[in-house]
Amino acid sequence: MALAAAHSIGLTQRQAIDQLINDHRGRPGALLTVLERIQEAQPRKFLPAEVLRYVAAAMRIPLSRVFSVVTFYAFFNLTPQGDNTVCICRGTACHTRGSRDLLERLKLELGLTDTGPGEGSADKVSLTTPDSRFTVRTVACFGQCALAPVVEINRNIHGHMNEREMHKAIQALR
Amino acid sequence: MDRVNLKINGQPIQARAGQSLLAVARDNGIDIPTLCHLDGLSGVGACRLCLVEVAGVGRLLPACTTPVQHDMDVRTDSPRLARYRRMILELLFSERNHVCAVCVSNGHCDLQAMAQSQGMTHVRFPYLYPPLKVDASHRRYVLDHNRCILCTRCVRVCAEVEGAHMWDVMSRGVHSRLVAELNQPWGDSQVCTSCGKCVAVCPTGALAEKGRAVGEMQKPPLHLTDLALLRGGLS
Repeated sequence: MALAAAHSIGLTQRQAIDQLINDHRGRPGALLTVLERIQEAQPRKFLPAEVLRYVAAAMRIPLSRVFSVVTFYAFFNLTPQGDNTVCICRGTACHTRGSRDLLERLKLELGLTDTGPGEGSADKVSLTTPDSRFTVRTVACFGQCALAPVVEINRNIHGHMNEREMHKAIQALR
Repeated sequence: MDRVNLKINGQPIQARAGQSLLAVARDNGIDIPTLCHLDGLSGVGACRLCLVEVAGVGRLLPACTTPVQHDMDVRTDSPRLARYRRMILELLFSERNHVCAVCVSNGHCDLQAMAQSQGMTHVRFPYLYPPLKVDASHRRYVLDHNRCILCTRCVRVCAEVEGAHMWDVMSRGVHSRLVAELNQPWGDSQVCTSCGKCVAVCPTGALAEKGRAVGEMQKPPLHLTDLALLRGGLS
């Protein structure tokens, strides 16, 4: 299985992963760091199945444990992410200042109709446009409640967001 | 060996240091209800039924993962604990589609028996009715997520006794699901040895043998030595 997994990812990437695993060998919680670094290095910021298989085999961690970890932490992505990431806070403070409307507006603007199972609920959202230009995500709280509603666009925090400002920011990225 | 003196339900008890409250209570003939615990497997405190009151501690502690300490004063039974245990059971029932009338484990189910013994008469919470699937891809066994209470007995027996660690739990909260390897059909697993330990330890009808009709899935008595020997089926 390890061999099969090794063949499906490129040599350079495999060497990089081996190096990472070596650097963190023996450290408790090494899996998290290794997965984080791999995801950072991926062009589409996600962890493909073959990479998970390879990491599990190389670190001698059961595959089911690796999958359990990557699905427990919202930070890890199992699907390719867009060029731009827009992250809308759905915490309590931002919710009371209208973050649901912002989210609905943004989905409308980007043509994301697939709402998934938990529409309107506090469930985690992670949607990517078919052209891979934008990914829309939600978080529970940025810790910037005084600036509610907060939207993070490509890692920059924008406070006191409204639909017009958001529209402008999105247009600038198109 | 270090000895620890403590009181359980007013009864003075001597225990070995490092023992869990649950083990000590059961050694002394005091029963604490559990669903996720299994002798020989690590304790995880998943089901919360073994919650006990410890004097001087404001919150309830799970007996299975709490080590004994000197001069502990423990209550394993009180109206408050009984109320909480019933509530925990009701929440377990409401979270999945536990329909006893059509379940292979009807009449031989730990969850059902526990509800009866704890005096649970009905569920006060709305059922979630999640749309869950049945994985019948394995040649001999079947996984029905509708009956799963996420006690993780199967995960632990597979990892700790069989050494395969095919099962684990994905995601979290209400989205948690039992998964085989990379969330793939059980039958496609290359790690599964088809030993049947997970089926044997499952307290409900979530893991069962194929070909069983309603109420026909009887699990063997749970002794780990038997489990360790278990290969190639339950019968």
